[in-house]
Amino acid sequence: MSRAMTTQWQTNRNITAAFAAALAILIVVGGFSYRNILVSDESSKWVEHTRDTLKNIQMLRLSMETLSSGLRGYIISGREAYLDNYKAAKQGIEPLRLALLDLTADNPAQQSRVAALGGLIVERLERTERVIVLRRNGGMDAAVAGVRDERGEAITNEFQAIVLAMQKEEYRLLALRKAESISDVTRTKIILIAGTLLGLLVTCVAGWSVLHGSAQRQAAELATLESEERYRRLIDGVQDHAIYMLGPAGEIRSWNPGAKQITGCTWEEVAGQNFSRFFPPDDIKSGRPQEILRLAAENGLYEDQGVRVRKDGTRFLIRSTITASRTAAGELSGFNAISRDLSGTKESEAKYRGLMEAAPDAMVVVNQGGEIVLLNVQAEKQFDYRRDELLGQKVTNIIPEGFAERLIADDLRSEKDALAQQIGTGIELIALRKDKSEFPIEIMLSPLESAEGTLVTAAIRNISVRKEAEKFLAQMEGKYRGLLEAAPDAMVVVNQAGEIVLLNIQAEKQFGYRRNELLGQKVKNIIPEGFAERLVADGLRSKADALAQQIGTGIELHGRRKDGSEFPIELMLSPLASDNGILVTSAIRDITKRKKAEVHLMQKMDELNRSNEELGQFAYIASHDLQEPLRMVASYTQLLARRYKGKLDSDADEFIAFAVDGASRMQRLIQDLLLYSRVQTKGMELRETSSEEAFERALQNLRGSIQESGAVVTHEALPNVQADEMQLAQLFQNLVGNAIKYQGSGIPKIHVSAKMNGGNKWMFSVKDNGIGIDAQYFDKIFGMFQRLHKREEFAGTGIGLAICKKIVERHGGNIAVESQPGHGSTFSFALEDSQSTT
Amino acid sequence: MPIEVLLVEDSTGDVRLTQEAFLEENPTVHINVAVDGVEAVAFLQRQGKHADAPRPDLILLDLNLPKMDGREVLALIKEDDSLKLIPTVILTTSDAEADIVKSYQLQANCYLTKPVQLEDFEVLVKSINDFWLKQVKLPQQLQF
Amino acid sequence: MEEAAAHKRYVEVLLVEDNPADARLAKEVFRDVNSSVRLHFASDGLIAMAFLKREGIYADAPRPDLILLDLNMPKMDGRAVLARIKEDDDLKIIPTVVLSSSEADADVLISYRLRANCYLRKPAQWDEFDHIIRCINAFWLSKIRLPRQLEVPA
Repeated sequence: MSRAMTTQWQTNRNITAAFAAALAILIVVGGFSYRNILVSDESSKWVEHTRDTLKNIQMLRLSMETLSSGLRGYIISGREAYLDNYKAAKQGIEPLRLALLDLTADNPAQQSRVAALGGLIVERLERTERVIVLRRNGGMDAAVAGVRDERGEAITNEFQAIVLAMQKEEYRLLALRKAESISDVTRTKIILIAGTLLGLLVTCVAGWSVLHGSAQRQAAELATLESEERYRRLIDGVQDHAIYMLGPAGEIRSWNPGAKQITGCTWEEVAGQNFSRFFPPDDIKSGRPQEILRLAAENGLYEDQGVRVRKDGTRFLIRSTITASRTAAGELSGFNAISRDLSGTKESEAKYRGLMEAAPDAMVVVNQGGEIVLLNVQAEKQFDYRRDELLGQKVTNIIPEGFAERLIADDLRSEKDALAQQIGTGIELIALRKDKSEFPIEIMLSPLESAEGTLVTAAIRNISVRKEAEKFLAQMEGKYRGLLEAAPDAMVVVNQAGEIVLLNIQAEKQFGYRRNELLGQKVKNIIPEGFAERLVADGLRSKADALAQQIGTGIELHGRRKDGSEFPIELMLSPLASDNGILVTSAIRDITKRKKAEVHLMQKMDELNRSNEELGQFAYIASHDLQEPLRMVASYTQLLARRYKGKLDSDADEFIAFAVDGASRMQRLIQDLLLYSRVQTKGMELRETSSEEAFERALQNLRGSIQESGAVVTHEALPNVQADEMQLAQLFQNLVGNAIKYQGSGIPKIHVSAKMNGGNKWMFSVKDNGIGIDAQYFDKIFGMFQRLHKREEFAGTGIGLAICKKIVERHGGNIAVESQPGHGSTFSFALEDSQSTT
Repeated sequence: MPIEVLLVEDSTGDVRLTQEAFLEENPTVHINVAVDGVEAVAFLQRQGKHADAPRPDLILLDLNLPKMDGREVLALIKEDDSLKLIPTVILTTSDAEADIVKSYQLQANCYLTKPVQLEDFEVLVKSINDFWLKQVKLPQQLQF
Repeated sequence: MEEAAAHKRYVEVLLVEDNPADARLAKEVFRDVNSSVRLHFASDGLIAMAFLKREGIYADAPRPDLILLDLNMPKMDGRAVLARIKEDDDLKIIPTVVLSSSEADADVLISYRLRANCYLRKPAQWDEFDHIIRCINAFWLSKIRLPRQLEVPA
């Protein structure tokens, strides 16, 4: 193995070296590249600069030329316009020269040339100005004369020479820069290529190294693996012996299935831990584990027998052999250990003892003679005895009845059988404490084979609490059962499976079953639809939700009796928690009667509606059909009266007059009847109405009689009310019309007002100064066709107030009158305010 | 030339009243009477014993008639290309909204309700006369 | 015993007339003779149709109880309007009185053919015009039963 490791190490080193080399190369290359970028940047700047300089020089030359050429035109023509170019050049030349100075600031040679140029420019300008003056004053000839001299040409030549020199210089510099730049680039290129190649090379070397080392290593590994494999198989094969390795201090270095089996711990759980963890606390305290190791190290080998503790806390006996292993140099490198679990042997008692002690319940081991041979600390506590007080005692001392007998063989069964029958079942008995107080227990028996024969282990549990709870529950159930029985409705309790678990006598009666016939039955049998489904959880809701949805609401369904007949029921559900989960209590009410009543009510309402309609129709038809023949009678009697008045005898006149009168009256009566019936049949929905407007309408209709009588009608602001506008107008019209009609000798004065009454009603009053009404007639006047006066005194059929009454009643109010004969009357009625939302 | 009015009315009492009223109001009006819808149609179409019947300038039509109801007569008149030109005035006792609307839908020229009182009736006849027989331009009796 | 007055507050009359003088006169007469008349004006056939159909600015126009229709008008003349009215199932029940200055018998015939409820010749003299308006009022708005707009049974 170590060979492989070495190779590995070597390979690692190689790789690291390779990486380091590659990195170095990268840095170098990167550095050069960066530098090159900077350099090329610079050179391009220089190129720019040179170009600018050259441009400037050119422009300067041009301006210089213009100074001369512009002049020529002027000299010849004398026209000032020719001087424009000249002037422009003159203005711009010096700035140009200064700019050139700036551009060549780094080159002394150039600088001196620029300075020289400056001098030449000045000279030229002087000359040209002179010539201009000459021309202006002396004409062309004078100017020409002034121009013709050698100096002029010389200036131009000198200028040219200097310009040329400057240009040359610039070009030279340019060429130089270019060359530099190129060499730089080339150098960088070389370095880049070289670097890359180098990098590649290094990588290849590293790779090869790895591969080579890897191959070597693999071979070594394979060999190691094989031997390990063999070794492992050996160890794993051992299941009932723990074979493990420890470090010099006792740290666990290996584990095998046997060790896992014995201790209950997996390798992951123990790796690295000290093996002393498996020792009992006392031993750890006394330093036993280290002692063992020391001895093993001293003698090379040590055998130990002792108690260990499993993962689950149970103790067990082992015998272990520990050998020390040493290095070639003789150093202690660790220990090898082989241990065997001794539980199967007579030491199982000890194991068992351990188990018992750890048990949460009281445990008592009894022999065939009924004597206690073993007990645990819980038993001591439960029965309030000391261990030695119970050992050897008859078990009947603590469990007087029910235990010992069960173990006794009798003619019917052998011991074994007797025992077999009791195993496993929880038996409820009464136990006795030391102080002779009793308490309820539940015992569970199990056999125990021992050298002394079959023993019985009893696990004893104090169930006093449970018994209390049960008693309480029984009480509750009793109460509940009582409630159930006492309920007037049928009550059925259903479990989640839809089965009836409880019912009361009413349920028996209603459904015609006996109790036993229903208990355990599916509730579907008595309520075919609508109940069981409601309890079922479906994709949308859990059972609890499903139930919750139904609680409280009365559900109308059908119930089915034993004889198959169905009847309508109303169901009210409520949940009931129990040990068996949520149960549903349902109260079932037979609503046959109610349903019948409902149907009956509907029928009656229909009838009523129909009869109302018929009545309305009847009233209409009656008056309408009556009108026809009446119209004939009335019309013809009138025609008779007209045509034959005075032509027959006076009796005939009288008779005809009566006939006409009678007919007319009948017509009016029928018309009034029609009006009266129309209050209902042609009544419109009540809605927000301006009573003020309705009142105005009434007055409009009455304007004739108002004018005639000179009546004075006043009113206060009238509110908005819930009303049928037309009928309201009719109401006002009748009342005011009456007030005008039933007047004595004076001018009728009528006042209409409204007052809020009780928050949502308006009390209207129509007050007049008419003839008044005697108290005894207060009710009568509102009757149909009731009149208090003779026809000769006052016209009218007596239906007006009846119509008023009908209208007011239709609006949900009442009409009343207050009056005194000779002192006018006040009619009052209430209407609902339009704002009220009742 | 007398003005020809066709009065379609089943109540003889009403017929007489109408005649009397027109007599009073405009004696040049000649009232032709048909007592039921069938007779009215026969008159208008100049069938049978009405072969020589004059073409009315105005039709006064009651709605509630035996045999053929006034609405049917109205519909018939207004569907006939030549008869539909004759102004047809509904003169009936009904004031039911349904009847009124139906009549206008069937293109009655106008709808009048017979008043209950004699006086009112006479006034109505007067206004029919004033309006339809004096003011209104009636279509000429050209055969089309 | 008087019954409460007209079911509706106002009687809506649509006067389709291109002559403003005539329109004005009609307005005055109605105001004088019947205070519950609300007169609406359309000066040509297009406006009249828009009013009747409640289109555009006439979206809130009331439905007329009576239409007085001149025949000779620009844009869309009275005959076209009449035809359109009497073709429309909804509008045809509105009594339409043709009030035209035309002397032509042909016009009378056409109007009745197009189912005008009646034809009146518009007098040239203004006092006669006044009179005819009164007659219209007296007959059509007092005696005649007009179809009530609100509840139209199927």
